[in-house]
Formats: sequence, C-alpha cells, structure tokens
Amino acid sequence: MADRSQQSALAEGLARQGHVQPAVEACHAALRIDDSDPRIHCLLAELMLAGDFYDEAIVSASRAIWLDAECSPAYLALGLAYDRRGGMWDQSILVWHELAEVEPELVIAHVQLGEAFSAAAFDDEAIDAWRRALELDPTEARAMYNLAVAALKKEGMATALPGFRKAGELDPSQDDLFFELAGIYDDGNPAPDPADVPDDRQARLDAAGALAFEEDFFAAAELIRLVLDENADDAEALGLVAYLYLKQEAVNEAMACALRALTISTRTPTAVYCLGVSFSKRPGLSRNAARVFSALAKAVPHNAMPHVLYAESLLGLQRYGLAAQSYRKALQLDPACVRARFGLAAVLLTEGAYADATWEIRRAAYHDTRRQGLFWQLYDAYSGGKP
Amino acid sequence: MADDATTRLYQAFVSQDAGAAIAAIERVKKGGTPQEQLFDTIFAPALSLLGGAWAMGSIDEITFTQASVVAEQITSFVAPPVTAQDTGVTVIIGSMHRDHHSMGKNIIAATLKEAGHRVVDMGVDVRPSDFMERLEETGARIVIVCADMVGTALDVSRVREMFSSAGHEEVLILVAGGPFSADPALAKSVGANGIIKGAESALKLVGRIAREKLGGG
Repeated sequence: MADRSQQSALAEGLARQGHVQPAVEACHAALRIDDSDPRIHCLLAELMLAGDFYDEAIVSASRAIWLDAECSPAYLALGLAYDRRGGMWDQSILVWHELAEVEPELVIAHVQLGEAFSAAAFDDEAIDAWRRALELDPTEARAMYNLAVAALKKEGMATALPGFRKAGELDPSQDDLFFELAGIYDDGNPAPDPADVPDDRQARLDAAGALAFEEDFFAAAELIRLVLDENADDAEALGLVAYLYLKQEAVNEAMACALRALTISTRTPTAVYCLGVSFSKRPGLSRNAARVFSALAKAVPHNAMPHVLYAESLLGLQRYGLAAQSYRKALQLDPACVRARFGLAAVLLTEGAYADATWEIRRAAYHDTRRQGLFWQLYDAYSGGKP
Repeated sequence: MADDATTRLYQAFVSQDAGAAIAAIERVKKGGTPQEQLFDTIFAPALSLLGGAWAMGSIDEITFTQASVVAEQITSFVAPPVTAQDTGVTVIIGSMHRDHHSMGKNIIAATLKEAGHRVVDMGVDVRPSDFMERLEETGARIVIVCADMVGTALDVSRVREMFSSAGHEEVLILVAGGPFSADPALAKSVGANGIIKGAESALKLVGRIAREKLGGG
C-alpha cells in the first residue's frame, strides 16, 4: 500500500510539473501495483491529452469513470478528448451532460456541452447550455463568444459583433493590454493607501495605476485629479483617467479625456487604446476604431491584443479577409488567445469554411481550459474526498 | 468655421443645452460637411475641449458628467450612418429545394443587407418555381442560390431552365456552397454566372455587377 501511494504521489507531482513522459511512467508503475484507483487512470488520461494521444486518453478516462462514476476530472478529460479527436459529438454531448450532472455548478461543463451540441448542429440546445453557463457566471467569456458565433450563423455579423465585443470585455486579456501599455505590472503587493502616497507626480501615477489594477477606480481618480491639478496637460494622467471612465461605462468622458491626451501628445499609447475602445463601443464608428487600432498594432506589434482589436473593427467594416489576416497575426503572437480564435472562427464562417471554424473553436476550448487549470481544480476537489 | 462650430458645440455641452448642440451641428451640415465627416469635424474636437476643461478644473466633475450626457443625446446627429445607403439593387437569395443548410445563406444575406442592397431572403428548401415567382414580383436581376450538397447543387440547373423558359435569360444566377467552391466547373454546368465564396466575395461580386451591368451601386 505504501508503494502504491508513493508511486501515485510521484505520478501526480510529475504531472503537476508538466513532466509528461516520466509522469506517464509513474502512472503505469502505480497501476501495476493497483489498477483500481480512478485518480491514476484520470491522471493518465490528462497526460495523454497533453500529448495529443486522444484515443488513449479516452480509454483511461473511461476506465476511471467505470471505477467511480463520480470522478469529475475524468469526465473533463474524456469530454476534451472526444472534442479534440473530432467526429464523436454524440459521445461528447453525453460526457459533458454527465459532468454537468456530477458538478452542476461547473460553468465550463455547460460551455463545453453547448459546443458539443453546436458541433452536432443542435443549435437551440447549444444556446440553452451557454445561457445556463452565463446564469452561473455572467463573466464567462467563452459562453458569450459562442453566443456571438450563434448570432452570426443566424443573423449575420452586424448582430454578432456586439456579442464579440461584450465577450472581449469579459475576457481579462484586454485589460492586460492597457496595463502593459501603462507600464503597470502586478508585483504581488497591494496598492498603496492613497493617503500614504508621496506628493510627486510619478508616485501618484504609479499608485493610481496600482489602484486601477485592483479596480479601486474612485481612489485612482482622486490621485489623478491631484496630478492634473498640478499640470492639466499631463497626457499620461489623462490616458489613465480615460481608462477609469471606460471601466465605469462612461464612454464620452473616456473619449473626451483620451482625445485631450492625444491633442497634447500623440505618443500616449494608453490614450490611443482608450480612444479605440470608446470608438468601438459606438455603432457606426468602426472606421474610426480601425484607424486607431491599426496605429496601436503598429506601435506595439509584439502584443496580440491590438491585432485582435483591429480585426474586430475590420469585421464592422465587412473587411473579412483583412480581419482574418489580423487574427492570424495575433495567433502567431499568442496561440492561446481565445478571443482571436473565436474571431477567426467567425471570419471562417463568413467564408463558408465551417470545418476550419469548428477547429478554431476547439482549439480555443483547449487553451481556455488549460489557462483555467480546471483539471487540477477538479482533481484536487475529487481527491479531497478520497482516502 | 469648424473651430467656431466646435466651440459652440462645446459650450452647448457645458451649458447642457441639447437644442443648441443640435443647432451647432446642423449649421456645419448646412455648410456642406457630409454626415460621415461630422463626427471627426466637430464632435471629436468639442469632446477634446471638454476633456481639457475638466482637466484644467474649469468645469467640475458634475458638469463634466452632465455635458457627457448631452453629448450622448446628440451622438446620433453626428455619427456616420450605421447602415449603408440603399443601393437600389435587389438580390433574391435562398437555399435550393431539399437543401436545409441555412448558415452560409444567412451570413451572405445579412452582409448584403448591411451593405445597402435590397435582399429578399427566401429561406431554405426553395423550389425553382418559388424563385421564379419572387423574381417576377420584385423585378430582381440577381438571384443567389445556395446549395451545400452535390445533389441540390446539380438541381440549380432547374432554376436556370425555368428562368430561360419564361424569358428571363438576363437574370444573373450566382451560386454559393461547398460543391461550387470545390468544383468551379459545376457552376458553369448548371448555368450559373458566378460563384460566391463567402460573404466578402458576395459583396464584391454583387457590387461589381451593380456597377457594371445594372448601372447602380
């Protein structure tokens, strides 16, 4: 028994560190001692999935579920394996449905269930599943992306585009771009108390940035007010305050501050970003948004998000071919960019390339579940209740 | 002129006078500035002035917010038109009889509509006689027939035959769907005048036909 636990712990530790091959060997060693532990089978399924061995993943996950029908991480691995293998939508629907039953509060199970329904052309059932996911978590971006794609299929791009933008706002990657442009990084320390911030411009701007990062917009705005009281032509401060307004849905205030900042200095990337986002929220301003995001994409070519934002504005102008180029550029820079994958899928749908579109959505699902570390969350929760 | 107008619009924002804001915009419009340029010519500069005034402390937070509300109220007067101008070109679109694939058709129809074409969407499973009936009702000269199965793609020839037998040889049939994208010769064999390979392709093709053959668009 001690041997089994040791091999299990070794397999688990190696898998958590991403050492796939030695972890697989340790799993097999553990199974040779005792093959009745569902955790090892589902661990093996996850490892096989990581190595793109879908059939092997299906076998191991199925074995884990056969041993214990409550083994939720095995359902996740099995569903992902079916989805990524392709051509097994009926089984996929069953698995995600089972997972949604075993873990009814697990948002991703409903999202995946919707995608499986959609791939099997059960569009209404798919929409119901994504809506359920959004009921459980209104900030679930992938459910919103999928609803936007569903709207595209039924009513075209003009109806779908606001959905893509809404999903993009739920997706934290857009805010990450702003903070990168502003030079604000998460150093793990809490934002300072505004009362303790020294009376100088840079300290105030830094603190305001940190407070904005923590979504304390009012405290951040008060510090920026102090900066502007000393110099009303501080373009950086105006760029930051434009973001604060944007986050509070005050689009005209954001636009006013961003435009003022750019009147002072055209080289204020935060203001360029805020102006572009403000434009993209206004119907009919896609051309303006495209101009601004094109400039931003040139200014920060290494970041995927400006290319995505540019592509979205091109969708509004019906320039689908150019949008596809921009999405592909974004995916070269960041293959895990879920927003770019869904955007590209939308463009592919307009071109009639349905299989390619579905493939992009499947890749988005893969990256999204990995980013969220869902397997380990479920695994830990499941293991917590086991001896 | 534009600077004066910008100042007037800015002052209308600050004094929360939507009527004065609209009057300032109408004056610029009467001066010959087209609708699609109003946003850049007058609205954006006025907002920039507003941002500057708030930054300098010339107006307080409440005035800034209220001015922004007025700006919101009059945005529709300066925003470029959301939908394109009517091109006057009527396009009939539908999926061939016994073909229930709607996705490609829906996306193409919505794209053409958004671009200002008059789109008559007949849905899926449309018989050649129904295409014919609608053609005669509307006087359209472009018909897009979608087919995503080889069998239904081959049936498009029946649409051409029906049009020809009724003396509508001038009607342009454009085809869309997987079989035609995979085998362009198929389109010719069923009597189609062109292949649509997606929404942007539809825009280009219909736009070109409207310009070159129908003298519109």
